[in-house]
Amino acid sequence: MKGKALYAVIVAAILGAWGAVPPGPAEARISLEKCTLCHGKPEFRKILVDGKIQELFVTADSLKGSVHEKKTCVDCHFDISEIPHRERPRRVNCTHCHYKGNAEGAPQSDGYLAYFDSVHGKAIARGNAKAPLCQDCHGSHSILKAKNEGALVSQANVAETCGHCHIQIYAQYKTSIHGVAVAKGIKEAPSCTGCHGEHKIYGHTDPKSTVYATHVAEQCSKCHGSVSIMSKFGIETEQVETYKESFHGVASQFGSRTVANCASCHGTHDIRPAADPLSSVNARNVPQTCGKCHPGANPNFAVGKMHIDAKKKDAGIVYYVASFFKYLTIGTMLALIFHIALDMYGRTKRLRGEK
Amino acid sequence: MTPASDETRLPAYIIRMSLMFRVQHALLMATLLVLALTGFALMYHENWLGRNLIRLEGGVLYRGFIHRAAASLLMAQLVFHAFYMLFTREGKKELGEFFLGRRDFSDFLQAIRYNLGTADEYPKAGKYGYKEKFQYWGATLGILLISVTGVILWAETFSMRFLPKIVLDVTLIVHGYQGLLAFVILLFWHIYNEHLNPSVFPMNNAWLTGRVDAEWLRREHPLEYEKLKREGVI
Repeated sequence: MKGKALYAVIVAAILGAWGAVPPGPAEARISLEKCTLCHGKPEFRKILVDGKIQELFVTADSLKGSVHEKKTCVDCHFDISEIPHRERPRRVNCTHCHYKGNAEGAPQSDGYLAYFDSVHGKAIARGNAKAPLCQDCHGSHSILKAKNEGALVSQANVAETCGHCHIQIYAQYKTSIHGVAVAKGIKEAPSCTGCHGEHKIYGHTDPKSTVYATHVAEQCSKCHGSVSIMSKFGIETEQVETYKESFHGVASQFGSRTVANCASCHGTHDIRPAADPLSSVNARNVPQTCGKCHPGANPNFAVGKMHIDAKKKDAGIVYYVASFFKYLTIGTMLALIFHIALDMYGRTKRLRGEK
Repeated sequence: MTPASDETRLPAYIIRMSLMFRVQHALLMATLLVLALTGFALMYHENWLGRNLIRLEGGVLYRGFIHRAAASLLMAQLVFHAFYMLFTREGKKELGEFFLGRRDFSDFLQAIRYNLGTADEYPKAGKYGYKEKFQYWGATLGILLISVTGVILWAETFSMRFLPKIVLDVTLIVHGYQGLLAFVILLFWHIYNEHLNPSVFPMNNAWLTGRVDAEWLRREHPLEYEKLKREGVI
């Protein structure tokens, strides 16, 4: 109530300052100058119910450099039909322009629709006021394209943007190998959106999610299976292939959700290199990590290489045993065929002799 | 060989497999089939064969359940068979027939020499010739070994506590190839000897009826035939 009262006071003050302008019919376009009469004052702010101060200071420069540089206030705040406005303007609805076939010059894409199906869009639909709308991630007046480094959703900044709400995850991610790499400016390293997607973000228990249990390996393999990316950092690329050949990998490919995927052992937001003592796959932590599914796991679990491809010589004895058996099987098969042929030949001879 | 006398041309039958052995054989066959279908499903999971087999078996989880259930049955059969062969009258007698001696290896070589034309006579087999004996001991030993590797993999957490992972990797490879080898041998040895061989084609019915033709016995197992003749069974 306090907020509303204050709001009324401010509105009254503005009206007073405005003087004798009659509240006539709304103009088709309200020029920027009219808005900045009030919003152009640096001290123009509002105290919200929760005690936070909302800055309402907007100038002609606010949109400068942003993708909406050529737009005016009411292009987005189209619910304002008179100045000063009596009502608090509603939150800006971006889909007013952002849809396929728009005539406003917005990108011709329906990609935004994916948002409504996402975990965030559904939360909004359920009435969760804390769930993010477009502007919560993309910013309001200073929206830049994602490829622009200064954008809130750029590769370098998106984690912090997500971290506004997902603060604990952000803290974990920041010190993980991926977070550190992004902070170093490595373009290939994944930020939040690298794994979770952009508008199509789903909860990890939703089968549509890119990080759903049975999709994790595929998602990681997009980078970790790529020689051109991994060779830059000296990281092996066969981890994904070897995983797919393992018991875990096969079970996962055939739909098991309880079997270990990449993240079960390596972690999710807190992935660290194995040499790091805080890594879940550090030899000291392996008993605990494996023990999540294999109760009784001991330090012996950490002995030897985990990811092995029996088809490659790097696998050592496993490769040679596999090769030995391969030739043994082929040899046995040939010997048996030879034996059958001989036996049939001899039998014919024997039967002829009997006549 | 001398021409068969008139009396042996009469339809005379010999009991070659008692009901006990027929039941054991049928169980073994069913178990091995299930194990092969569930095992190769996993081994060849990346191609259509494995994919469809896994689907047929209700997914990887149930594939595993079925495989381990069949494996338990197989191991139980192995134990039962061992006791039966060692401690029953019929078993002891059969085990005696199955004793592998130097003679079987020389028979094997002689058969090859005969087939190649360097020996004059085909080796004369007793109740079980080298073909049957090799098959029997190969299968028994194979089942024993594949059970050992199978149990190591089954108790994976226990195994991993004591064995380095590389041992399990090797065990997995060995287990798979043991299965494949067994399958290949069944395909090329057993199928030939008991089905495609002209002497039994299309099938040696002994595993169902227990009986074989006396004339067949005379041709294929002459020593056994002569022994039975001496004993007056024929």
